[in-house]
Amino acid sequence: MRESGRTHPAVLVAIWMVLLLAPAWLGLVGGYTALGARVLVLGLAAMSLNFLLGFTGVLSFGHAAWFGLGAYGTGLTLKFVAASTPLALLAGTLLGGVLGAALGALIAHRRGIYFAMVTIAFGQVFYYIAYRWNALTGGDDGLRGFSRQNLAIGPWSVDIVANGVAFYYFVLICFAAIVAIMALLLRSPFGHTLVAIRENERRARFLGIPVEFHIWAAFALSCVFISFAGGLYALLNNFADPNNLHYSLSGDLVIMAVLGGMRSFWGPLLGAAVFVVLQDYVSSLTTNWMSFVGLLFVLVVLFFPRGLLGVLRGKSPA
Amino acid sequence: MLQLLLFNVTNGLIIGAFYVLMALGLSLILNLSGVINFAHGGFLVLGGYLAYTLTPFLGFWGALIVAPLLTAAIGMAIEQTLIRRLYGRDPLYSLLLTFGLAYIFEDVTRYVWGAQGLPVTIPAFLGRPVSPAFFFITYYRLFMVAVAAAVVLFLFLLLRHSRVGVRIRAGTLDLETVSTLGVNVGRLRAFNFALGIFLAGLSGVLAGGQLGLDPTMGAGLLMPSFIAIIIGGVGSLPGTLVGGLLIGVASGVTAVFFPSASEAVMYVLMALVLLARPRGLMGEEGLLT
Amino acid sequence: MSLLEVRAASKSFGSLAAVRAVSLRVAAGELRAVIGPNGAGKTTFFNLITGALRPTAGAILFDGRDITAIPAWRRVVLGMARTFQITEIFPELTLAENLRVAVETAAGLRLRPWISRGAAASVRRQVEEMLALAGLAPKAGRLVGELSHGDQRAAEIAMALALRPRLLLLDEPTAGMGEQETYDVTQLVRRLHRDCNLTIVLIEHDMRVVFHLADRIAVLDQGALIADGTPDEIAADRTVQAAYLGQAAEAGAADAGAAEAGAAEAGAA
Repeated sequence: MRESGRTHPAVLVAIWMVLLLAPAWLGLVGGYTALGARVLVLGLAAMSLNFLLGFTGVLSFGHAAWFGLGAYGTGLTLKFVAASTPLALLAGTLLGGVLGAALGALIAHRRGIYFAMVTIAFGQVFYYIAYRWNALTGGDDGLRGFSRQNLAIGPWSVDIVANGVAFYYFVLICFAAIVAIMALLLRSPFGHTLVAIRENERRARFLGIPVEFHIWAAFALSCVFISFAGGLYALLNNFADPNNLHYSLSGDLVIMAVLGGMRSFWGPLLGAAVFVVLQDYVSSLTTNWMSFVGLLFVLVVLFFPRGLLGVLRGKSPA
Repeated sequence: MLQLLLFNVTNGLIIGAFYVLMALGLSLILNLSGVINFAHGGFLVLGGYLAYTLTPFLGFWGALIVAPLLTAAIGMAIEQTLIRRLYGRDPLYSLLLTFGLAYIFEDVTRYVWGAQGLPVTIPAFLGRPVSPAFFFITYYRLFMVAVAAAVVLFLFLLLRHSRVGVRIRAGTLDLETVSTLGVNVGRLRAFNFALGIFLAGLSGVLAGGQLGLDPTMGAGLLMPSFIAIIIGGVGSLPGTLVGGLLIGVASGVTAVFFPSASEAVMYVLMALVLLARPRGLMGEEGLLT
Repeated sequence: MSLLEVRAASKSFGSLAAVRAVSLRVAAGELRAVIGPNGAGKTTFFNLITGALRPTAGAILFDGRDITAIPAWRRVVLGMARTFQITEIFPELTLAENLRVAVETAAGLRLRPWISRGAAASVRRQVEEMLALAGLAPKAGRLVGELSHGDQRAAEIAMALALRPRLLLLDEPTAGMGEQETYDVTQLVRRLHRDCNLTIVLIEHDMRVVFHLADRIAVLDQGALIADGTPDEIAADRTVQAAYLGQAAEAGAADAGAAEAGAAEAGAA
């Protein structure tokens, strides 16, 4: 059976080779390993968002909230609860995932513009909490005073604190795990119902699919995935700040997905790579980098609405 | 205590009037064109800064009229060149476009007028308190409320009784039918967009006189406007009006008791309204009926 | 016992009464047509049966069970499948993928985050079976959005069939079709009714199709049921003729001509 939108095996091999060898080639092209890790983390966030946006057809514009909650949950756990990287990551994922699932239940019957507005507005709640609750979160200055811890695997300890390359591979393994889960879900009967809802909600309902419940499930899963990415982000920076929760990051994540191609599974990763590298480069050249980012938004919308991969494939959505 | 409460309630009403002006503009554009205008705050700031630049030449009163008109003209130009192309497409795209525009606006205003705050100079008599007992209420605050009320009244009369207003309302309900009746939908949307941006520009001038101007203030005022629309019910302008005043007063009153929660209360209010009435307070009714 | 029973169902939109106290019984194995002039409330009536709309008054019973208050998707699970007047499909998926969603949902797999090889093979077999039944097997890998109008209609019917319904509701299955396509769909519906013994309710404008297929015909006019009987009875019914003639006088609609032609043809047969 021909599958629409499945990645060619050769492309898949190429993607993983590029990611696996990144610490080796990044330096040669003027990059650095931490930049690679940043691309992976934000790419994972954009792919998590796209699980909802591109594959369920639901426009959440407040996903930074769950990303940031993952970051704060991870940071706070490391700072106050336990000096364990996996535990902190788990706590961050749960914090964002549970709160996301709760909000999702409130809004799963909303659609389109209304859904976008409500997600933006509710997302800002967590921004204000992080911004205001100085005693716990450090307020405007961000959450400091925690650090990722070395991994203990049986009798061995893996140094991911000082060794940037080892940390990169830790992030890559985490990335691979979540991406594999997403890919399997999308190939499952459950995943098929999500794409069906994206394509035609009414038809999906009259095939016997409780659309609201499935949208809620997709929303909750997407929140879990992106919280996990947020947790990784906190580990990467040893820092979390309110901007991790702000709606402008939500906008950045959406543009990454659209820029790469939101109908393709790997598009958001490509979009994140382009966005992060461009931002890194432009902000080193000029203080007016916001204009460039804004211009990127405008150009993408006007000229690449199907994204880079959409253009490469040349297949037009109706 | 009573004095403090009174102060904060009036303050809340004034801020609410402000949210209403801004949210009505957003709402107009959202209702007719299906565009969530993220750049609305950017237009507000632009209006304020234009007034700052024009005041030395035109005086406050001249700037109060001309700056919003200029802002509206710029808005219409942007609508005609960029936003118009996205009508009928997934709302995602107009959202992203205006999101990008908001970035550009903020950066450009910072580049042109600088990052530090600037005041819009207001006539001296407006700066005086109304009476010693109500020292906290200046004439300017009353003036702001009066302008907001007049504009809202004018807007509602326009929408109810003028030909273009009736068309805007009809278009909000069913744009297809309106276009088959021979109405030029493109021009209607352009006018409607300019009208919305005019309100943003006007809010900017008024805000500049009270709070001063800085490039990031637009983004700060955007969220309350969203919440006003959601609370009032998407599609209902009277709802937006009620929503704006409600969150203004609610945050004013909260400021008395829990100063740090004065922003959060809007969100709590929104959550409660959505739980009780999923379509917002006036979401089920038709426009202005 | 009747498979579907509608008891005095009404639906108003504000002051407009779209369906007024319509009662109808459809026996198991029956093919019932619902006809009526434009704006008679036929599609609204369908929406009440399938749960797209909640009736203002009255009740809907399916297989003896009151389903008035249960949501649309659950009615599908109970065995009620429908197609729409304007084709509702998943345009950017292939034909086989369209059917796969239906088959998997009908098999109760919709929440499964994985699928066993055996189950996947069974799903594939059923998809192929439905494709063959609808005569679409060679087009399995094509995107449904790129198929012809007729093929899209057939695809939608195949999706409804993939749900293994006990009651199939078809809203103008031949709308916008040419002669050959209309004939093909008519034959398909007849096969489903005769060979699969499926209970079918269809709304149809083409009177040749209606009088050719239906066991019984219900006629709606201005939201009310004005006649219900065998094709012969309906062809001879004065009220029905008046309803169609009234519309023809107002709008000069071709439907009425078709109705008369159909009635004459049925009378002659």
